[in-house]
Amino acid sequence: MEESGSVDSVESLCSSTTTRSDRSSGTKVSDTELRSKGRTFEKVYKDPGKGELPLLAEELVQDAAKEVTYICPFIGPARGSLTVTNYRLFFRCTDREPVFGLDLPLGVLSRVEKIGAATSRGDASYVLVCKDMRNLRFVHKEPEDSLKKSVFEVLMKFAFPVSNNLSLFAFEYKQVFPENGWRVYDPLAEYKRQGLPNESWRISKVNDHYELCDSYPAVLVVPVTIPDEELRRVSSFRAKGRIPVLSWIHPESQAAVVRSSQPMVGQNGRRSKEDEKLLQAIMDANAQSHKLFIFDSRPSVNAAANKMKGGGYESEDAYQNAELVFLDIHNIHVMRESLRKLKDVVYPNIEESHWLSNLESTHWLEHIKLILAGALRIADKVESGKTSVVVHCSDGWDRTAQLTSLALIMLDSHYRTIRGFQILVEKEWLSFGHRFQQRVGHGDRNHTDADRSPIFLQFIDCVWQMTRQFPAAFEFNENFLITILDHLYSCLFGTFLCNSEQQRLKEEVPKRTVSVWSFVNSQLEEFVNPLYVHYPSHVLFPTVGIRHLQLWVSYYIRWNPRMRPQEPVHQRYKELLAKRAELQKRVEELQREAANRTASSSSERAGSPTRSITPVQTFV
Amino acid sequence: MFSGKQTKATFKSYLPPLQTDSKKSPQLPIKKLEAKLLPGEIVVNEANFVKKCISTESCQDGLWGKLVCTNFKVSFIPHNSLPLQRFQCTHRLLGEHDISLACVEQVVTVNDVKGKQKILGSNQKLKFNPTELVLYCKDFRIIRFRFDEAGPESAKKVCLAIAHYSHPADPQLLFGFEYVGKRYHGSTDETVNGVDPGGGLQTPLFDCSSDWDREIKRTGASEWRVCTINQGYFISPSLPEFFVVPVSLADQDLKQYACCFYSQRIPLWCWNHSSGSALVRMSNISDPLQQRKVEQRISSAIIKSHPLRSDVFKSDLDKNLPNIQDIQTALLKLRQICVIEPFEESEEKWLSSLDSSRWMEYVRTFLKHAVDVVYMLESRHVSVILLEKEDRDLSCVISCLVQLMCDPHCRSLHGFQGLIQKEWVMAGHRFLDRCNHLKKSDKEESPVFLLFLDCVWQLWNQYPAAFEFTEVYLTVLGDSMWVPVFSTFLFNCPRQRAEHSRDFASSKSIHLGQDQALRFPSVWDWSQQFSLKDQTLFNNPLYVGKIATCVQNGTVKTFTHRRSKKNYSSTVRGLPSAMRNGSLGPNDTLTRRNSLMLRLRSDLSQVREQQETPSERFIRDWFSRPVDLQALLLPQLLPSHLSVWKLYFLRWVPEAQIPQGGPITAFHKLSLLTDEIETLQSQLRQYNGAGCTPNNPHTEHSKMYFKVTSTPHQSPAPPEYLSSSFPFSPMGNLCRPGILGTPLSKFLNGAKIWLSTETLANETI
Repeated sequence: MEESGSVDSVESLCSSTTTRSDRSSGTKVSDTELRSKGRTFEKVYKDPGKGELPLLAEELVQDAAKEVTYICPFIGPARGSLTVTNYRLFFRCTDREPVFGLDLPLGVLSRVEKIGAATSRGDASYVLVCKDMRNLRFVHKEPEDSLKKSVFEVLMKFAFPVSNNLSLFAFEYKQVFPENGWRVYDPLAEYKRQGLPNESWRISKVNDHYELCDSYPAVLVVPVTIPDEELRRVSSFRAKGRIPVLSWIHPESQAAVVRSSQPMVGQNGRRSKEDEKLLQAIMDANAQSHKLFIFDSRPSVNAAANKMKGGGYESEDAYQNAELVFLDIHNIHVMRESLRKLKDVVYPNIEESHWLSNLESTHWLEHIKLILAGALRIADKVESGKTSVVVHCSDGWDRTAQLTSLALIMLDSHYRTIRGFQILVEKEWLSFGHRFQQRVGHGDRNHTDADRSPIFLQFIDCVWQMTRQFPAAFEFNENFLITILDHLYSCLFGTFLCNSEQQRLKEEVPKRTVSVWSFVNSQLEEFVNPLYVHYPSHVLFPTVGIRHLQLWVSYYIRWNPRMRPQEPVHQRYKELLAKRAELQKRVEELQREAANRTASSSSERAGSPTRSITPVQTFV
Repeated sequence: MFSGKQTKATFKSYLPPLQTDSKKSPQLPIKKLEAKLLPGEIVVNEANFVKKCISTESCQDGLWGKLVCTNFKVSFIPHNSLPLQRFQCTHRLLGEHDISLACVEQVVTVNDVKGKQKILGSNQKLKFNPTELVLYCKDFRIIRFRFDEAGPESAKKVCLAIAHYSHPADPQLLFGFEYVGKRYHGSTDETVNGVDPGGGLQTPLFDCSSDWDREIKRTGASEWRVCTINQGYFISPSLPEFFVVPVSLADQDLKQYACCFYSQRIPLWCWNHSSGSALVRMSNISDPLQQRKVEQRISSAIIKSHPLRSDVFKSDLDKNLPNIQDIQTALLKLRQICVIEPFEESEEKWLSSLDSSRWMEYVRTFLKHAVDVVYMLESRHVSVILLEKEDRDLSCVISCLVQLMCDPHCRSLHGFQGLIQKEWVMAGHRFLDRCNHLKKSDKEESPVFLLFLDCVWQLWNQYPAAFEFTEVYLTVLGDSMWVPVFSTFLFNCPRQRAEHSRDFASSKSIHLGQDQALRFPSVWDWSQQFSLKDQTLFNNPLYVGKIATCVQNGTVKTFTHRRSKKNYSSTVRGLPSAMRNGSLGPNDTLTRRNSLMLRLRSDLSQVREQQETPSERFIRDWFSRPVDLQALLLPQLLPSHLSVWKLYFLRWVPEAQIPQGGPITAFHKLSLLTDEIETLQSQLRQYNGAGCTPNNPHTEHSKMYFKVTSTPHQSPAPPEYLSSSFPFSPMGNLCRPGILGTPLSKFLNGAKIWLSTETLANETI
């Protein structure tokens, strides 16, 4: 009975709006306070450990328990109190100095498991397996009254609302931010920025009601020469109706990046006149090249195997001017397994010997390398070969999204800005139907679901790799990327809910939830890379060798207490900026002063030679 | 005919070259090609119409020119010089295509028609006419010359000459002697030649007692004194003439104890912690009968010198650290995977190969050991004796690292140089043997100093703002070992330097005057090698050192680094940062490997037993506080937090280059900002000094390599020539041999090949 006990405590606390003085009394404005800028905590809850827990407006305490032991893998057991709300789990340790705690959104939980039977002492052990590379283990006395639910049973209910017919917290959360992040991406404006429509490409309304393809966006850009009627016929030849449509066009060469799903060739080598015509039209739209490159992101074996299931790849006979290239990127299952191995290697502790070999055995960096290498080949074909490309995998919503979005970041500096990157995610991932709900499994207890896979995480990792190689080319910092990943799981914002644009509209997600970009754009200073230099038409060609790829320690190893999150260069740069501003101010003051003096003195003693200045030798 | 034109991509050709190319080139109008010679340098042999390979995997592209062997270097003088790339810093002693003989590790001659290959040593015969010469260099370069059009005899002769002269039989045949003899002692009037090597240096060399006195004063080691009993090297052959000992030990005692120690090395004081604890290095006591007694006497003297009479902790380095052969083996393996193995083949197994080289492991072991010593000094307040059999290798590394971590002075440029002078040069690290300059004994060769530089780089990489110098500086310092001109790296100990220079002087009838020794320049006299402009590459724009309090009559602002309190938590609201990762400190005795289930079964009582060791607690405490860059620095020691020193190890590998990228692009932006600040400061000084408008803000010499040009406040894009290898260039410096006859398909696996030729043509390599 989760209501018991908790509700009244909340009510009693709702009135006590509190100061957060214990924290804000520090010398500097901390990041955490910056983070909380622009929102008010309407209530503060006193947990059983007498600690204060500021709650979000819509947050309700569901249960709390004293005398819970958190078995910390780093420092051993720590006793404290545990509180569960409809949004988060909060543990406050009371027997350690300094006091510390855990505060995590229930959305990051992938699985909650009770381990073993209760011991004679009545202790039960629970393991919380998280999506963000950690496992938490608690020991708690089972309630003596067998009818009463343990706090962990309450936790399980709220951790997996979808499985329990509850709604995700994002639908409760009503925070108002200065900016509405749902307006960040306007497809027409974005295509207009690219110079579309133009004489070769038009904007089609054929998918206005998601009838052509329910996982595609409403706005599609297609060659002028292909009428909607023919697009409909093409859709029956492409897996899930995901026809080849334009993603990006080169402002000068008019070479285009086009994405789609696999053609339904099947074992008998089916062909589609309309599909062939569409690809020909895509090639013709670019006068610079008489070739079209088709990048099939899969290993060729996998692509061939898909023929058994009706899919396959473009044959050379059917598409005469096209050249097909396989990019050897593995499927979602391989990636999931790789991340599982990585977690084994990095959490909780890193073995001191053979770290590099252990890392290699996870193949994580190898997969990152293949994805980046594929994107690099695409970007190179478009930029240097001035050739249009078609990118697809099987369904065109996982590897294809990774490849096109990374290639676009390499090609178009706009996507390296904070807002541009948001547009990129909205466009290539969300509007083109990356199945976030399935891949992440929001609020779903079925942790063994084979559809889960860290595809988006891999993409962010690849972006991070590029920011390491080009530290001045991105407007955003590492914090930005980590924040996006954290809210991929948190279910606080609606951005990453559902599987497609159509579903999000049906669920009225933009109306009923807050966008993560509202939050991000309301405190941009947190996410800006001070080293950023904007150079407009600069294409990045990262080096994809494993020598230059590194494990993203500040994400994957951040739970390790020996890990010190730091951005010393950025920090120092900000200090230098402040110093420059201060000096500039003083120089200007002196200049003004000097100008006044010269004006007055020249009137008095005209013609007296200005003495040359001997700088004071105080070497800095 | 090619003059001035920017040569485009040099590895365009994966296809066989056009026949005409190779036929035409030798018919160029013969220009007079002369090697630039230094004082004392003579040409030994030379060959014309030699082709230097430029591209990586194939030898099709090349430069035509003359190959010259002198008593100092292998010089290649091209007919058509490649247009000098704007960024290349010009070395004052070595030209763009020169390799000093001391840098040559192995001379390999090849006849690809006969399929023969021979590694040449000194005084050897060659039974075939070489078509190719491959020079493997100590700094990881691989340089290839082709003799297809050269006269077979002259080719053979020049190869033999290079092999012979790169294996000098005697230290006095090292070029430094001739050079210094001619340059600084050539003329009777000493002032004519002007430059006094080492003159005006701000770096203390610790070759006189005043330098030691200053160090004693600086560290507040009042109970320690300079000892002069080794003047003339009468007591110990490997100790310097001046060193520091406890006040309580009289010269007589020291003389008596000296004979008990290995090579009569009386224990040396290195440094004093502000708490009064001393860092001392000591060799093994050779006489087992005396061991206890002498050890006790020494320990009690050290205890007496401690203001709190604290105890002494002995740290046995031989037991805890890899030996010099291990280190050498590790470097050879590292070189194998970095430069010798074809890029793409080593790519797949890069991480595990790197692991099995054990280089990173050793770097970590040294850093970890240094941290343990720091803990004893810093937290236990005891003095530490570093114990090593000879006290000339491992203790150099550890004592330097300890001081770098504890003493911010050592992180300034001159402080760092003084540190090396004190703990390496004067303490008698056998540079001559460890560098194997004479190529006599491979057993003695070991890159201990390079390992040390790598450890410093790891610290630098974790706290870049704490050091006055850059990684370019560290790299160039490593390279300077192979320029056999500097007193710093030529000798095994100060006595050897004195003896050899006396012998050499008398054999050449050079009058030494008051100096008593040849005036070898110190490597710290950087103008020997680089122009002032190029030396600005050493200055770190991030350094917080003394800048911190430089704002004149304004508010004195200290730039103490606050630890970034970033906590990438998924909660939106604030929570004290300590509450974030749900963990307080390191205690990783729990084994990770076991499956989740296994770990979960381990019951509570077991977990409780895992106690943090005091040193772990010390480290954890330190990490939980904000970093003060002007105080103690501890490295993060998780294996995942150490990286490969890419600038040093991968700079020659074209495939590993990031064109227009790499950390240098951040450095560029930072330099501009720092330069702007400097300009403003100099303006302020001018205003304050004279009270009128400054005429030229840039009159003072800027400390930054990259400067703000016309439009401040608008950061220009980094120049296109920047790459992750900057300021080095892989072009022509890494030509792996043995690819002849490899099918084209093999190349096509290379990562670079994925880029179309158009891109390659645009790349400025």
